[in-house]
Amino acid sequence: MMLKKLALAGVISLMGTSAFAACSYQNETEVKMLSAGFEAWKAVTDAMAECGNFQAELDQEFRTKQPAAFEASPSLYHLGGVSNGTITPLLNAGTIRPLDDLVAKYGQNLTPNQLIRIDGKVMAVAMMVNTQHLMYRSDILADLGIETPTSWSEIYLAAAKIKEAGVMDYPLGATMKSGWNLAQEFVNMYPGHGGTFFNDDNTTAVNSDAGLKALGTLKAGLPFMDPEVLVSDSTYVQQQFQQGKIAMANLWASRAGAMNDEAESQVVGKVAMAAAPTAMVGGAPATTLWWDGIVVAANITDAEADAAFRLAMEGIDTDMVTANNDAAIWLVNGFVPGPLSQGAIATATANPAPPAYPSTTQMGLLHTALGNEIPAYLTGERDAAATLVAIEEAYTTAAKEAGVLQ
Amino acid sequence: MMKFKTFFAFVAPSVFMMVLFIALPLVSVFIQSFQITQPVMQQMEVETCTPGFITQTCVTEIKTIPTIGEDGKVITTTEWVGFESYRNVLQMDKVWEAVASGNVKDILQIDFWKALRFTLMFTLLTLPLVIGVGLLIALTVNNAAKAVRGPVIFISLLPFIITPVIGSLSIYWLFVGDGILTAMMERWTGTNISMFAQAWTIELLMYFYRVWHVAPFAFIIFYAGLQTVNMDTLESAVIDGASRWERLRHVIIPHLMPLIVFIALIHLMDCYRVFEEIIGFRSQAHVISLQWLTFDFLTPDDAGNRAIARASASAMLTMIGIVFLLILPLRRTWRDHKGSAH
Amino acid sequence: MSTSRAMRQSLALRFSSSAFLIFWVVIASFPILWITVMSFKSPVDAFADNPLDVIMGPNTLSRGDGLSVIDIVLGLAVIFFTLRWMFTRLPGWIDSYSPAGLKVLGWVVGAAVYAIAFLVVFFGILPLILGPLNSILGPLGEPFLGLTTQHYVAVWGENEFYRNFGNSMLVTAGVVTISLTVGTLAGYGLARSGSDLAFWLLILALIFRALPHSVLVAGYLPWFINSAEILRPIFGDVSPTLYGQPWAVIAVLVAINQPFTIWMLRSFFQNIPAELDEAARVDGCSHFQAFRRVIMPVMWPGVITTGLFSFLLGYNDFLVTSLLLDAQNQTMVPAIAGYFNRETTTTDQVEAVAAAVSITAPLFLLVMVFQRQIVSGLTAGAVKG
Repeated sequence: MMLKKLALAGVISLMGTSAFAACSYQNETEVKMLSAGFEAWKAVTDAMAECGNFQAELDQEFRTKQPAAFEASPSLYHLGGVSNGTITPLLNAGTIRPLDDLVAKYGQNLTPNQLIRIDGKVMAVAMMVNTQHLMYRSDILADLGIETPTSWSEIYLAAAKIKEAGVMDYPLGATMKSGWNLAQEFVNMYPGHGGTFFNDDNTTAVNSDAGLKALGTLKAGLPFMDPEVLVSDSTYVQQQFQQGKIAMANLWASRAGAMNDEAESQVVGKVAMAAAPTAMVGGAPATTLWWDGIVVAANITDAEADAAFRLAMEGIDTDMVTANNDAAIWLVNGFVPGPLSQGAIATATANPAPPAYPSTTQMGLLHTALGNEIPAYLTGERDAAATLVAIEEAYTTAAKEAGVLQ
Repeated sequence: MMKFKTFFAFVAPSVFMMVLFIALPLVSVFIQSFQITQPVMQQMEVETCTPGFITQTCVTEIKTIPTIGEDGKVITTTEWVGFESYRNVLQMDKVWEAVASGNVKDILQIDFWKALRFTLMFTLLTLPLVIGVGLLIALTVNNAAKAVRGPVIFISLLPFIITPVIGSLSIYWLFVGDGILTAMMERWTGTNISMFAQAWTIELLMYFYRVWHVAPFAFIIFYAGLQTVNMDTLESAVIDGASRWERLRHVIIPHLMPLIVFIALIHLMDCYRVFEEIIGFRSQAHVISLQWLTFDFLTPDDAGNRAIARASASAMLTMIGIVFLLILPLRRTWRDHKGSAH
Repeated sequence: MSTSRAMRQSLALRFSSSAFLIFWVVIASFPILWITVMSFKSPVDAFADNPLDVIMGPNTLSRGDGLSVIDIVLGLAVIFFTLRWMFTRLPGWIDSYSPAGLKVLGWVVGAAVYAIAFLVVFFGILPLILGPLNSILGPLGEPFLGLTTQHYVAVWGENEFYRNFGNSMLVTAGVVTISLTVGTLAGYGLARSGSDLAFWLLILALIFRALPHSVLVAGYLPWFINSAEILRPIFGDVSPTLYGQPWAVIAVLVAINQPFTIWMLRSFFQNIPAELDEAARVDGCSHFQAFRRVIMPVMWPGVITTGLFSFLLGYNDFLVTSLLLDAQNQTMVPAIAGYFNRETTTTDQVEAVAAAVSITAPLFLLVMVFQRQIVSGLTAGAVKG
């Protein structure tokens, strides 16, 4: 039996490398791409590989490498996978090219919504949106007669009820791993409380009433969360859900599909999605909108750019989306929103709508400062006011070093 | 005695590689710690259109972005700033403030001092443990029957040879959440235990991991050393009526002393740049180390910013620390060198 | 020796000493054993909080992957004899078949052949025998222990892990050969020169060894990526992009490894009496000739031991390889870390565990083969401070 499986695996891997059947043309120019490595990128790059002469590097360290690799002459990669956070250094250094002519040539299948325009020029083609949304165990909430929570205060009430009923000790999950993840939680909560991140002179405005409230809301959830929440990232929260250990979490939309993965999940069909909770009455859902998309390097020949863009269009075509419908909230024609994507769509179309994650140099600096300073507040070493002062100081030092503050 | 020319020919390839890949980067780090290189920024009104679901949203705002020069590269300026980056890392003003107000513990809220505290404690606490445990294993293996020695040595070496990233993850999984060992301890004690919820338990696991990982190295070296203990000296010690403990103290340990110094040296250096544990155990919220601090400064954020100047300063401070730590064992090496050479 | 009075032990001592040894052996092997068990289970079982579930794998079993009593008995028998013969018979076979003077090579080839033979028997012949046997034997042939090799199939088949394996082998082989070649020369030079310069070189090397690697490595990245542009004025159009080149990574790892290598080898050469090469020099040899004729034949124990440490460094490195190699040339350790990125699944994690166990296997073999050489090499004085 084992032998048969091994032989089968061999056959499958052979098929994967040699067949170009699914691609509408044969790519003759060598194209390389560097992107993040999550499910949606795997689907897109696999579709591109079918055309031949294509190498994809799906790398968690892509953020470290991408700016430098695109700055080399010639660029080490023709295509890059970016999000609204990671496009900033490429835009700033001018290492990606405007795509208007290529969109006109090969972009018949694109919708206007997909074209990321900076000052009127198309700089990237988005393929999917991502956002955090509320995922909850519909069976547990129904058993206890709890309505689907729409705000953080309702979530905490619901969590208290679940805890009291003895269903779970820690009904809430959160991606509060210190560093990037925890900072992102604050970045969600803070605009939800009506805060703005920066003043006009590039100093940060987080040391404010909204900042205090945002920190307060974050900390108020701790009694309902696993004490080890400061090491929990999206994968850990996803696992907690799959193993039936938590009942609610404000988690990335791209994680929804894993709930119904029969090979991993013990809660198939029991997790429902709703819009991200609001932080204050009448406010926008406390989250940020993200997009992921493709850029083309500036330091390559026009012929290479042409081939690369054509290949990219083949990667994000309707066939790919049909085959991987639940892997992401696709922006591509042919995407059929299923039950798993309802929450994300409700979040994105809410009124008022949550802000897009700001793609600026300052935001990168502030994100780091938040990720480094907030843990001390959650562990109780520092109070909220002192934490906000520390964030402000850390940001100011970094911003002066980066040249955005004088 | 070798002529300088011959000596140079022998060591040249090695020295060349070390200069190229270690010394030169080190010099550049030293220089960068006194400089700040930053792009020339300009304010510009930019319209950005991003996808929503179904329709796009466009915002026009004033953005601060780097200026791109004629050659298509970002224009940067480099300034000598003296010790400013060191000040930013050390934050001495806050240290004095904390001392003056009597809240000395507040110093540990500053990243550098927090990292230094852990790094030093980690290094100095695991040192005797590694040497002690290593020696104990070596002595017991040496006492064991010949038949079991081979397999026991083999198993003992496993923690040392296993890839560190994987070794620390394997221990992390045993304890994180309801990992099986945490669950077992919970059953024994009847309380809810979270090993990764507070600093001291995480630190404990880090000490455990490091000793688990390095003690086999000490063991194998001590074991090799034990094979060369002079049997006649031991025999005569027995005849003199020396107890086992006295023999250990007066014959075996002095014989192993050079090895103990060697292991101490290696261990001080490796421990002082502790890093894998921080990543493997995800302890950034509670415990950080000096190398992690440098690494964190160097890791670019989403917008591509790196704090190169502060990273260089923190790297240089780390260097100074290691030189201090190494002085003691090195003085011995210097005496040996003088003794053997002249 | 066993009659020596110094080695005689009281019963209490013998008892406590073996108790400690058993305790240590359990601690040393448990985490590794445990991840091995995890790698054979379905994701639900692998991360279950009840240890029994992880061991028995009920979820894995319910998906039709399991072993019967017969499977286990026969499988364990094969493993037992493989291990036993590795210690008892393998050395003899290798001694008798390998040509004189090439014993090291004989060991490497012998170990590889042995490993392949085991794989063929275990995964090829055994299942063929067990299939009919299980159906005959009724309850004894009924699977009861959940166990699946799907993650290994996924890792080595679909994810083409053998490419990473090949890259790892290339990088490691390069690191070991070059660092030993360069290191033996330098170690010998340092051992035979009593000058202060030699001493300060050693101290400097020590301080280099203490440097945090992240500082160095981040410094390389821009140079490696832009090397084609930087080197163009010197080498013209053939100037290479160093980023992603295995040999560039080998050079970096060799440099990082040099301080340790030259320290080990210097101490080793110091224990070879200087009279040996001085005698050769009196006979009219130059230093290099003396090194080749007199020192090279006796230096192997120390070189093998030092080489093993170089092997570990090259094979286990994560920081350098993950930053300076691209996907096509990636070695195994960064490839495994790739399974743990921001958006990953539990299946990915168990596959990572399977990959982790796979990369530990060659280390197992290596230590088994060279265990005696390590001890004898160290005993011969590679570590005299």
